[in-house]
Amino acid sequence: MSPPSLQLVGLRKAFGDFVAVDDLSLEVPAGTIFGLLGPNGAGKSTTIRMIMDIIAPDRGEVRLAGRPRTREDLERIGYLPEERGLYRKMTVLDHLAFLGELHGLAHGDAKERGGRWLERMGIADRAERKVEELSKGLAQKVQIAGTLLHEPEVVILDEPFSGLDPINQSLFKDLLAEYKSDGRTILFSTHVMEQAEKLCDHICLISRGRAILVGELAAIKRQQGGNAYRLRAEGDLGRAREVPGVADAVVGDAGGTARLFLAPEADPARVLAGLVGFLAVRDFHSEEPDLEAIFVKAVGDAG
Amino acid sequence: MPAERAPGRRLTKVAVLAKREYLARVKTKGFWIGILVLPLLMALLFVGPALMISQARTSLDVVLVDGTGRLGEGVRERLSEAGDGSGPEAELDVSVVAPEPDVEAHRAELDRRLVAEEIDAWAWLDPARLDDDDEVEYHARSVSNTIAQRRIERAISAELREVRLTDAGYDPEEVGRLTRDVELRTLKVSAEGARAERGEAGFMLAYGIFFLLYIVLLIWGQQVLQGVLEEKSSRVVEVVISAARPFDLMLGKLLGIGGAAFTQFAVWIACLVGLTAPGLAASIAAMPEGLDLPRITVLQAVYITVFFVLGFFVYSSMYAAVGSAFNSLQEAQNLSSIPTFSIIAPMFFLFPVINDPGSTLAVVTSLVPLLSPILMPLRIAVEVPPAWQIWLAILLTAGFVWCMVWLCARIYRVGILMYGKKPTVRELVRWIRYA
Repeated sequence: MSPPSLQLVGLRKAFGDFVAVDDLSLEVPAGTIFGLLGPNGAGKSTTIRMIMDIIAPDRGEVRLAGRPRTREDLERIGYLPEERGLYRKMTVLDHLAFLGELHGLAHGDAKERGGRWLERMGIADRAERKVEELSKGLAQKVQIAGTLLHEPEVVILDEPFSGLDPINQSLFKDLLAEYKSDGRTILFSTHVMEQAEKLCDHICLISRGRAILVGELAAIKRQQGGNAYRLRAEGDLGRAREVPGVADAVVGDAGGTARLFLAPEADPARVLAGLVGFLAVRDFHSEEPDLEAIFVKAVGDAG
Repeated sequence: MPAERAPGRRLTKVAVLAKREYLARVKTKGFWIGILVLPLLMALLFVGPALMISQARTSLDVVLVDGTGRLGEGVRERLSEAGDGSGPEAELDVSVVAPEPDVEAHRAELDRRLVAEEIDAWAWLDPARLDDDDEVEYHARSVSNTIAQRRIERAISAELREVRLTDAGYDPEEVGRLTRDVELRTLKVSAEGARAERGEAGFMLAYGIFFLLYIVLLIWGQQVLQGVLEEKSSRVVEVVISAARPFDLMLGKLLGIGGAAFTQFAVWIACLVGLTAPGLAASIAAMPEGLDLPRITVLQAVYITVFFVLGFFVYSSMYAAVGSAFNSLQEAQNLSSIPTFSIIAPMFFLFPVINDPGSTLAVVTSLVPLLSPILMPLRIAVEVPPAWQIWLAILLTAGFVWCMVWLCARIYRVGILMYGKKPTVRELVRWIRYA
């Protein structure tokens, strides 16, 4: 199976005077996990709703596998909205079958898959229960099953982990990992950077409707982390400040380690050469900052 | 928006959505309770009064004091054969007696028997009062039984007339032949030929359709309104709308809920026919010669059914429109009187259309989508309009429903994301243009 890539080209959406999403472009390469990151109100949900054709963009285009995304394409997408909800009066299995049919499966097939999902999630005994009788955690499981039931090639998840109990969170993470190894394309939004850091191949940082950082996570970290170095050595680490090219050095409490902040134009090799002159250097490596730090800095820079 | 390439798939989606709506209703207890409650209510409403009337049909003991010596027997005969047993008329048990010499004592005795409930009424045929004042004295405990009183009055008058004419030298049979009443026999003329028909049949039919539509919509209009709100209140809306267009959702909803409504309706009709068929057949067989039942052709019946179905969708789409603009039932409640009013609107034109079914007013109003579901069947029953008018009405009505679904979808699509905010009319208009 070769999953399609997903592209957003110059998306813009304004509600009255409020511009929710402004000229947003990004590409989710096929078979990767993409994180749409940003604080609450940044425009993540609006973006996702435009991908799902729930809101029409004022400008711009959503493309799937290089072609404009059509209504039929939406059947190939599994969507978990931020606002979770199911028909309360339907029985669990009927509900899953309905969602499957709505995404183009035949009734029998949809019901069979629904049964398999319930078994897989360990709630096969609730198949004939009404949704309203389920606990919140179980309803979440049904919702997740409903999102993935038709084996979508593309999965779009809006804040998938918010509101999930820890068991469902880890269940969902396993599912996503499995989906990625199946080679499917996944995009999810979150405001929790640690989750993105663990799961994503690519990210887009979005703030006030604008993309402020887009790209491969590793590359972004490399690029953003270019000036921080971790030093482990024997000797007077405080003297590292005196080496040309070092803007600042913070010595660890226990001694023996320090974080060096290099001047923008400094050459790390020369700094190392300078350090070796008075320290027995055990380790000197570029330190990747966490996403949280990058994000805070990027938002600050964007002004 | 790219052009739709697979109409078949959209149709499948509408079917999936309609099926869900249908099953969601048919599978509830309330649906089956509703199915049972109405026939029971009807039974109470119709059988109850009928039972009471039949119990009230006791016989009245009437004493006729015949001072003339000539009228009594004739009146008794007339009264004993008058009741045909079909109406709620009391049977009159008439006994004729001659006046006793002591008139005052006789009258007192009769009044005493009246009070003692040995008899129900007495009347005195006094020759002098008959000739001078045209009066007969009538005593009863209750003088409100006007039907019985009218019958007695008519019987005495007829007998008196016959006796007087015979006295004047006329042949009683000749008199009967010359003074008989006429009866108006109404004839309906249509292209298929003249056919005798009771004048009220058309009105009864239109009123019947209105009544049925009104009942069905009273029950199901709210269901449509709530149904449209359901996805929004349960928050399942985004998943559904991303897989199916709002138009398909709205259409599926109307069809599914309509299907449930017609299922209920069909069960009612089956119950009604099953329960009343034996009685109905008997009463048709017992009907007097020459009394024609209102007859409609198969084609007319088909047309009327089509308009009934269209009527359901026209008015329920109004409920859907109200539901599509709001997020909760409370918000929508204020506007839910609009669809109710739209069902009643055709009733204002009922009489003008009955009186002159071919008039410009009748033609125009029966073509207006919100009016034609009731007015066009009325015209069809009273005087079959030209086929093009019927088909134009069907087309316009169906088109109206289509436009309403489109409008609902439009409002719905914008409205779904405005959680917790009540739209103003100006916003609604903007929503329709935008999206």
